[in-house]
Amino acid sequence: MSESSCDGGRWLDAHYDPVAGLYTFSSCVDLADLSGDGESRLLVGDLGSGSSGMKLKVFRGTALLSESTLLDLPTGLVAFFMDLHEPRIPAVAVASGPCVYVYKNLRPYFKFTLPGLEVNTLEQDVWQQAREGHIDPVTLKEMLEGVREKADVPLSVRSLRFLSLETSDMDEFVQLHKQQPIRRQTVITCIGTLKKSTADEDGVSCLVIGTESSDVYVLDPEAFIILSKMSLPAPPTMMDVTGQFDVEFRVTVACRNGNIYILRRDSDKPKYCVELSSHPVGLVRVGKSVVVGCTDESLQGFTQKGKRLWRTILPAPITTMAAMDLPTRGFQAVLVGLANCDVQLYRDKNLLSTIKTPDVVTSICFGRYGREDGTLIMTTKGGGMMVKILKRTATFDDRDSAPGPPLAQGVRLNVPKKTKLYVDQTLRERENGVAMHRAFQMDLSRMRLAAAKAYVKALESSLAPVSSSLSEPLKMNAVVQGLGPSFKLTLNVQNTAACRPVMNLAVSFLYDESLYRMRNPYMRIPLLVPGLVYPVETFVECTSDKGISDIIKVFVLHEGKSRPLLTAHINMPVSEGLTLH
Amino acid sequence: MEVSMDPLFLAWSYFRRRKLQQCSDICSKILHDNPYDQDSSLCVSEAVWSLKTRALTEMVYIDEIEVDQEGIAEMMLDESSIAQVARPGTSLRLPGTSQGGGPTPAVRPMTQSGRPITGFVRPSTQSGRPGTMEQAIKTPRTSSTARPVTSASGRFIRLGTASMLTNPDGPFINLSRINLAKYSQKPNLSRALFEYIFHHENDVKNALDLAAQATEHAQFKDWWWKVQLGKCYYRLSLYREAEKQFRSALNHQEVVDTYLYLAKVYQRLDQPITALNLFKQGLDHFPGEVTLLTGIARIHEEMNNISSATEYYKDVLKQDNTHVEAIACIGSNHFYTDQPEIALRFYRRLLQMGVYNCQLYNNLGLCCFYAQQYDMTLSSFERALALVDNDEEQADVWYNIGHVAVGVGDLTLAYQCFKLALAFNNDHAEAYNNLAVLELRKGRVEQSKAFLQTAASLAPHMYEPHFNLSILSEKIGDLQSSYTAAQKSEDAFPEHVDTQQLLKQLRQHFAAL
Repeated sequence: MSESSCDGGRWLDAHYDPVAGLYTFSSCVDLADLSGDGESRLLVGDLGSGSSGMKLKVFRGTALLSESTLLDLPTGLVAFFMDLHEPRIPAVAVASGPCVYVYKNLRPYFKFTLPGLEVNTLEQDVWQQAREGHIDPVTLKEMLEGVREKADVPLSVRSLRFLSLETSDMDEFVQLHKQQPIRRQTVITCIGTLKKSTADEDGVSCLVIGTESSDVYVLDPEAFIILSKMSLPAPPTMMDVTGQFDVEFRVTVACRNGNIYILRRDSDKPKYCVELSSHPVGLVRVGKSVVVGCTDESLQGFTQKGKRLWRTILPAPITTMAAMDLPTRGFQAVLVGLANCDVQLYRDKNLLSTIKTPDVVTSICFGRYGREDGTLIMTTKGGGMMVKILKRTATFDDRDSAPGPPLAQGVRLNVPKKTKLYVDQTLRERENGVAMHRAFQMDLSRMRLAAAKAYVKALESSLAPVSSSLSEPLKMNAVVQGLGPSFKLTLNVQNTAACRPVMNLAVSFLYDESLYRMRNPYMRIPLLVPGLVYPVETFVECTSDKGISDIIKVFVLHEGKSRPLLTAHINMPVSEGLTLH
Repeated sequence: MEVSMDPLFLAWSYFRRRKLQQCSDICSKILHDNPYDQDSSLCVSEAVWSLKTRALTEMVYIDEIEVDQEGIAEMMLDESSIAQVARPGTSLRLPGTSQGGGPTPAVRPMTQSGRPITGFVRPSTQSGRPGTMEQAIKTPRTSSTARPVTSASGRFIRLGTASMLTNPDGPFINLSRINLAKYSQKPNLSRALFEYIFHHENDVKNALDLAAQATEHAQFKDWWWKVQLGKCYYRLSLYREAEKQFRSALNHQEVVDTYLYLAKVYQRLDQPITALNLFKQGLDHFPGEVTLLTGIARIHEEMNNISSATEYYKDVLKQDNTHVEAIACIGSNHFYTDQPEIALRFYRRLLQMGVYNCQLYNNLGLCCFYAQQYDMTLSSFERALALVDNDEEQADVWYNIGHVAVGVGDLTLAYQCFKLALAFNNDHAEAYNNLAVLELRKGRVEQSKAFLQTAASLAPHMYEPHFNLSILSEKIGDLQSSYTAAQKSEDAFPEHVDTQQLLKQLRQHFAAL
């Protein structure tokens, strides 16, 4: 009950099954009264593992009522009334690949396939020649490549597959496929419903389909013929439809180029266009405004004509969005699933409440389930299913739940008080200011001298592990690993020049031979490419069991010069183990 | 004629004057003249034997309560820890966020384990617990900061071998041939023998045997033996058994030492809250006991609760106004809470007490500089430079002079100082970081980048190199590297506002179309 308590107790936890095995998105979930008994069922197009196990699942209450296998990944699922027969039982349309499968009474009823696209005539000619045996596969490949570069109409899937094959597999592929005619097929990206002529709840609806070929089709519900075709500048990804086909309708489409287009009845081109600053991930219509969630963790509201009304920043990336419509109370809001395991409820830009979930929510569906009007169904990333019921007494305040001035305004800065001692010292400064300044300046000059002397000494003996000379700007740091008596010594040498490599370098060590034994005390360093770290490794053995340690000096030398370029001092750790004899 | 003193009395006198080697020599001579097994002078030779045992023990005696360092094996292969993710404020392993409202890492530097550095170096606070095995092995385990593999092997074995060297003829007592049962019956000998076995021979198993038999002989009523049993169990890492023995000893007799041992057990079991309660219980019996108060302060400090640690250190000073650790810790806390003038007072107090070393002058110099007493700043550093013992200290002094140079705007001097810090200590990550910033100002991006990467690899717990690298990468347009570096900076210091802003900016950049 902890989840509901943080939301002010507005939701009842009806059911939570963390291992329901449902993998789906909001576009593939719908609620419908499939048997006409006034009890709504939950329809889920399950994506399975992504390659197998795709299923259409129907839930009643907490139990799985039926499931039927789908041939391909579902991209969308809608329930709609396709005729006027009594009892009023809706059909289910599942969009998958290039087809829409229509189920009635949970039995396959009809399959609608999208019309094929125009095929490149040149490509057709080339395959024709191949069929007649005029050209061999290699020539075919060359010609197809030529066609691909020049033509306006893209190649078919078959030709593209052929072009990607190895030469050895080509012959077989041609033999297998040359008899079939070439087809160019597109796939469905999103699906929606549009009332045909009446605005009734159970009026007959048309299917609205968005395709990869940047088209939007409206289908007749009985004959499944294309009533209207509209084209977009980019492939659609999400869609919202409102209105009636015979009167006036409006299709809001979010496209893959990051724009939102609004289509009207009278034109087959978009009427309005909204250019977003980042990609849309969710599109929901609330009343007359459109709410869009974007990848930059923002939620934006637009009018029907594409004018932005508001924008609000979310605490985490959006995973899914859905509308919450409660007509009995006249309440409309947007549910937003976030990657930080929150589901937030927004009315316009105001955050009304937050639901904490045990896992990241991937799909949300709100509506009538069973006999309960306000039911929220969510599935999670881990395959869990959650059902919550809105309490009948629940109320939502119309203002933001985080109101008032920003929190930072109330935080007091922790400024320490100045002490009496400090005041006394400032008095001293005021009285002896000149003397203090002189003393400091003299000390500073002496310190500069001392530092310069020490610096020159360090430079002369190349004590530093960094060399900034113009010819060999190098840097080295050493790491000792191990517990002893064997240690691994790693020298990380780096050339810090902008573009010049350094060559002819060697590493040598200076150590107490009565304490340490080194596997190779002289090593050559390969050519150093600027910017990369070159690890040079060697092994050191401690030969003493007295528990003492010493410094090992590492020199980086240039061939032919006796003065080292770099020196590093390694404070060896005390050897913990004893050598085995 | 010369009247010679009774040799046994002379030895006793040497022992009291802590001339232990002479005492041991005389005892050896007496024992050589009349061997121990003869019945005639049993009483005398027993006394001599006991005295020599004590002298040998005193030579290598170390305070069990203070010297304690968790070895790598204890930290990484810890079997007694139950909750991997303890609730904040209940565990020493989880540094957590500062609860006492102390300064952030932006003001007060952190150690590798994520605790603010203290004003006083102690074995257990030296470098904290490393996160991974590789980090544990890789951390510069030099002779000055060595972390032993296990507390049972490292330091104690070294002490044991050191005592072997002093006796070339072999050990004074041959433990394998000694009849422990016989000695355990003799209370006047057994205690000296136990301490000899425990401290000098470092043979915990035999010591445990002897203690077990002796406590049985005393019918489990002698608190001293129970404490010794507890010490043995503690050394063998049998913490629960040690706890039982110490608890039982406390029932017989309230002793401050026992409280301290028991608190050590609880700290090892990662139960700081229990240890705190125990210390408070001890304070009820021994009000104002300095060691107990210090123990409480240390635990608060380890748990990142600096303000209450300071309160307890102040209590310590009320009892003992020459307590170096308390003065140093309060001083450093004042320094990092923007009151360097008060810190200066505390460090001057240390100077008056006769603490005269490089670290103190180093701190004095910094306090003078930040308290605007410029005339004494650089002379303090000069003295610190004159007092250095090793290269690490020299590197630290040069690093601090570099800070002063940055403060007065002399970047050439600063550059030289940071370079010198690196020359004396090749692993000085802070110097690498500051040098990188100076290089960047000179426009040498490649060098700056290389230095920052080195600093980040040397000290992954510092957020500054990651943050600087992130800014640098962002400026040269390498947003991906900038983002990864910023994330590392966020891991090291989650509350850092600039990192958060940079991350936000980068995320917006990535999300934009």
